Amino acid sequence: MAKVSNGSSSSSGDGGTSDNIRLAEVGQSLFLKALVVGVVALGVSAFLGSSENDNWNRFSHSYLVAFVWVMTIGAGAVWWITIQNIVNSHWSLVIRRIGELIASNAPVLAVLAFPVVIPLILGKSPMYIWSDVNNMLGREELKHKIPYLNPHFFAIRFVVYFGYWTLLSYFFLNRSLGQDKQQGNDAAKTVVTMRRVAGPAMIVFALTLTFCAIDLIMTLDPRWFSTIFGVYYFASCVMAINSSLALTLMWLQSKGRLTSSVTVHHFHDLGKMVFAFTVFWAYIGFSQFMLLWYANIPEETLWFKERFANSWGTLSWTLLFGHFVIPFFGLLSRWVKRNRKALAFWCIWQLVMIYLDMYWLVMPTLGVDQVPFQLIDLTCWVGVLSLFIAGVAWRAKGLNLLATNDPRLPKSLAFENI
Amino acid sequence: MAISDVNPFEAPPAGDNMFARITDNVTRIAETATPPRAWYIAFGFAQLLLLMFLGSLGYVIWNGIGAWGNMMPVAWGFPIVNFVFWIGIGHAGTLISAVLFLFRQNWRTAINRFAEAMTIFAVVCAGIFPGMHIGRPWLPYYMFPIPNQMDMWPQFRSPLEWDVFAVSTYATVSILFWYMGMIPDFATFRDRATTTVRRVAYGIVAMGWRGSSRQWHVYERAYLILAALATPLVLSVHSVVSFDFATAQLPGWHTTIFPPYFVAGAIFGGFAMVVTLAVPARQFFGLKRIITIRHLELMNKVIMATGLIVGYAYGMEFFVAWYSGNKYEVFTFVNRAFGPYGWAYWTMISCNVLFPQLHWFPQVRRNPWATLIIGLIVNVGMWFERFVIICTSLSRDFLPSSWGYFVPTPVDLMTLGGSFGLFFTLFLLFCRYLPMVAMSEVKAFSPAGLAHGDH
Repeated sequence: MAKVSNGSSSSSGDGGTSDNIRLAEVGQSLFLKALVVGVVALGVSAFLGSSENDNWNRFSHSYLVAFVWVMTIGAGAVWWITIQNIVNSHWSLVIRRIGELIASNAPVLAVLAFPVVIPLILGKSPMYIWSDVNNMLGREELKHKIPYLNPHFFAIRFVVYFGYWTLLSYFFLNRSLGQDKQQGNDAAKTVVTMRRVAGPAMIVFALTLTFCAIDLIMTLDPRWFSTIFGVYYFASCVMAINSSLALTLMWLQSKGRLTSSVTVHHFHDLGKMVFAFTVFWAYIGFSQFMLLWYANIPEETLWFKERFANSWGTLSWTLLFGHFVIPFFGLLSRWVKRNRKALAFWCIWQLVMIYLDMYWLVMPTLGVDQVPFQLIDLTCWVGVLSLFIAGVAWRAKGLNLLATNDPRLPKSLAFENI
Repeated sequence: MAISDVNPFEAPPAGDNMFARITDNVTRIAETATPPRAWYIAFGFAQLLLLMFLGSLGYVIWNGIGAWGNMMPVAWGFPIVNFVFWIGIGHAGTLISAVLFLFRQNWRTAINRFAEAMTIFAVVCAGIFPGMHIGRPWLPYYMFPIPNQMDMWPQFRSPLEWDVFAVSTYATVSILFWYMGMIPDFATFRDRATTTVRRVAYGIVAMGWRGSSRQWHVYERAYLILAALATPLVLSVHSVVSFDFATAQLPGWHTTIFPPYFVAGAIFGGFAMVVTLAVPARQFFGLKRIITIRHLELMNKVIMATGLIVGYAYGMEFFVAWYSGNKYEVFTFVNRAFGPYGWAYWTMISCNVLFPQLHWFPQVRRNPWATLIIGLIVNVGMWFERFVIICTSLSRDFLPSSWGYFVPTPVDLMTLGGSFGLFFTLFLLFCRYLPMVAMSEVKAFSPAGLAHGDH
């Protein structure tokens, strides 16, 4: 069991623990590696995309899948730190800073969105037909959506979504870093300040996440609509951030960071969250599918019809089993959630499944009969993820990985999960 | 027996240590010879309502459901509104005992027992309405897949049939959960019994509980497993209830967010009923030391959070109705807000979305009176939510020639009001004869119980 001790081996200055809580040179090297890999991978993607000669349509789709997948982690992190503050969670305190560091990568996330968003705002997007108002004017069933689906209003919304996530995550990170230098009462006051902001902030977050998911994914087919869509994307966000946190902590511990602060008990809880949201995702996915299937109204079922045609159907069934049934039994036992390797396996599994889910949401708009897995999908995914990681590593390398002076820290260090 | 003018439970509980005081605080409610006058008044009032309930049901059985205001096109009317309302109330108990248990919210121990009791009584009330609404209440077994010589089976493809299974499963598991939790407390009642009747009665239901470590071990395991099994049920019941509406093609009903939205609304309404009952109960039964202001505050926060989720759903429905471009859908939502039932819609919005926002202020959510009043307001709002969903959508569907305006008859109102009589009668009997607070669980999380570390 970890103990908080002053005057430690860490480079954190005041109030450190006996753990090593700075990434330092490991962060620097991760940043450089991820940056190089990311740039090369996106370069290759761009080359592959341009060689398609399809006005970047293929590239845009692959890139969007990769982007909305990374966004489940980035936006999920913003949600995660907000909810931890709202509920005054003790167990998660040793993980909170990692969450804050991932969340405050929101500006990088915004930049990563540019290849999709800039053409859209300029009215030249190959995949969002509403990016050009003329496309909409000619279609009776879409005309009335122009007040919402137009590049100008979208540009404002885009700034609002990512600006808000940036502001919120910077607020939490800055307060939390400030707390590292505070003692006693002041540190406790910071806890209360963050909690007070977190409540109302969550309301705005829920709206931004919902409409961001609607704008980037649902409007790919501007005919189709589903009131639960925001919740569906949210389910993936929660699963993605909890999986990512578990994997990040495992990686950090393999580098000798946070080795005694984060214990099997914390991993157990992260595993429980991954398990719970595996079920939640299935619940939301089922609700959406079953209700549309049952009522069988053409304007709603057309979306599923595309996703059950030819090999898309195989992908749909893969999601049912791979995203829910198999991991449900895989994550059910207590042993799995407390075993690093087993938990790591299922976290990676679920992140891959979330990728397939995003693929399933986005790619059918490409209008091809068969599931078009290609190298470009992989390179886009590697590129976007690497640049995202580079952003986190760049920020994290000089900062404490643990909220050292939070008054609840001793409880979190001593946390036991039965 | 004279009824005492002063509340016998006002006095501080007896006992020389915390465990003894907790035991005394809870057991004396059931052990006292005469409950406080307020209990008799409440019970008498509940009996009158119950009588009205039975009377109105008898009248409906005798005359047929034409005695209610149900008409075409609003064939569902009050009975289904009331059914969904009561089923919703019946969600808080299992949420508190199962979901909050999995979330390690130990404060739930002070309120879980009577919230679970309330859940079961609400499900009892709920079950009566569809049973009556089928029109021939002597044939409710048609709803069950019982092999019979007519070779008649229920329609398994109907969500209404799924409801039968969802609700009865939920009722069964809730009762098991409730009962299992009471076993250690029954044993306490048995051990303290001063009369043979009490000793034998509580002895039977205590099932030989001796409090050995082996028994506790098994008990804790069973509790965890039941909690894990009950958690999906909290979500499934109201999801299936929402399918009754959302699988239809009717505008205002057919929308994909219904399942989670209904579940959030059920928890919202259920918690409102818990605080509505908790505030007077802690007053009259001297439970303020166990159900503290802190507990009320936390419940109010749950009410606020779930209320906001419900508000989110109202908003999404409106947005997507417009976005979809479906003119029937747009009409339905505009009609809800500004049509003949606009008054009901705005009642719903103010009760469910506006008033709970007062709980942002700590002074409000820590005030028992404010808690009670907002709890009542939310109950009204959640009843109106179901009324709005059912009546506005049905009364003006696709064909203007078949439009109508549903007006409840006095029998409708008597059935609705009377159902509270059944609910309160059961609840008051529970308060008098069963352990109202989970003593053993409260003790485990009391400062004395935590002396050996936080488990």
